Amino acid sequence: MKITAFSWIIITLAITAWVFILPVKAVATILVLQLVLLLYVKHNRMMLAAIGGLGVFTGMMVLLQMLFGSSLTVSLIGGLRMLVMTMAFLCMLSTTKIQDIAKTLVDRFHLPVEYAFMLTTALRFVPNFLEDSSVTLDAQSCRGYSNRANALQHLLSYVVVIRPLVMRAVAKSETLALSMELKGFGANTYKNMPREQFTLWDLLALLVVVVLSTYPFWAKYFQ
Amino acid sequence: MLEAKNINFSYRRGVPVLQDINCKIDDGEFVALLGHNGSGKTTLTRLFMALDHPRSGQILVDGNDVVKMEPADLADKIGYVFQNPDLQILADTVFEEVAYGPRVKKLTEDSVKKQVDDALEAMELTDLSQSYPRLLSFGQKRRLGVASALALGPKTLILDEITNGQDQAEKVKMMEYLQALNEKQGVTIVLITHDMDVVRRYARRALVLTDGKQVFDGTPKDLFEGSYPVENWGLRRPLASVLAAAFQVSAGNCHEFCAAVTKEAK
Repeated sequence: MKITAFSWIIITLAITAWVFILPVKAVATILVLQLVLLLYVKHNRMMLAAIGGLGVFTGMMVLLQMLFGSSLTVSLIGGLRMLVMTMAFLCMLSTTKIQDIAKTLVDRFHLPVEYAFMLTTALRFVPNFLEDSSVTLDAQSCRGYSNRANALQHLLSYVVVIRPLVMRAVAKSETLALSMELKGFGANTYKNMPREQFTLWDLLALLVVVVLSTYPFWAKYFQ
Repeated sequence: MLEAKNINFSYRRGVPVLQDINCKIDDGEFVALLGHNGSGKTTLTRLFMALDHPRSGQILVDGNDVVKMEPADLADKIGYVFQNPDLQILADTVFEEVAYGPRVKKLTEDSVKKQVDDALEAMELTDLSQSYPRLLSFGQKRRLGVASALALGPKTLILDEITNGQDQAEKVKMMEYLQALNEKQGVTIVLITHDMDVVRRYARRALVLTDGKQVFDGTPKDLFEGSYPVENWGLRRPLASVLAAAFQVSAGNCHEFCAAVTKEAK
């Protein structure tokens, strides 16, 4: 079963709309399906960490909403919606190649090539950024900085690390820009690649998107 | 003193990085840790620094198991210089960069100044103390990394590929400084390097890892002039050793080779 990048982008965008128009039970079902898909695609520690990280972030958002006076139910529903939206992007990124996403954005969505490249490059640099931050944190602790004491100190250790990381990212972007120019980056960058062919699975997925996106209409009609 | 006892380590389950490593590095030694890329050299030194912990076995620093320690606990015993100097820079001036460690350790401002001045002087960076570290040359950044590690006065220095990217003059200067530090102040040096000329000339002991296994522990002379399959281990014999073997003399560098050949000729 292979769904093209085009369908994945449509599904991801549709899910961000569904979380607001579908009943909560349906949104929760989507969450379960997303979890099954993610664990089917990759069930390694990194994936579990990504899901766990999103879970923790959602928990923080729920707490924040409660802090500003929302009821528990409203906060939980808000958290669920946010989690499903972010998980949709995680599903897309873990099942589709970044180049395919960029190519589809340029080819089918007519996004200027520079913007598509910017988007995909930002995603491509996330692992490098994490790796660099881990080395810098290690270097910091090798020079006596302990973040064992408390959570605040742990947070402060990241503050020191941010600046070197940003400086390094700027330096890297300069090198990347140069190397892109040397490789002839331009308007035809993605257009010369072959187009992905639609399969039956794509048609099925897009049909589900149409059906679920028009839920308010036919729910009213059948009532 | 650093000791690894029956160390096994893997980052991912089922992919061993280090297998059954046993070694002991006494105070005052100058050890070169050698092996091909991915052989586990850096991983072993990360275990010594408590940046990672072994899956099984024990890592002892001065006789104490580091299993419950973090790198900060070892910072004044072991100075660790990473492979990439750019990622270690945390401050805006060279002085502040070197002062980072002593300040974290909450030394008095007078002690901080003294430690930093000593470290900068040792690495010949005093004139650059108010410079922006990111604008330094690669070699200067390397020296800054060593100065930062020295500022806490460690008994052991672990240097990960410190000679990479340095020109010959910078490399010789750095190695001679490390040699003096080792011989005069008794600082233990653990050097990860792919530069076999440096190993033959400066190290007194060589440890070779291949695919996570320890395959050699002895002197560089034995390693390069013996009948070990060094090429199969991803190493290269130093030119002086190759020439010395051809002329059936013993030499660690070109000067020694010339002296040995002249002596034989006479």
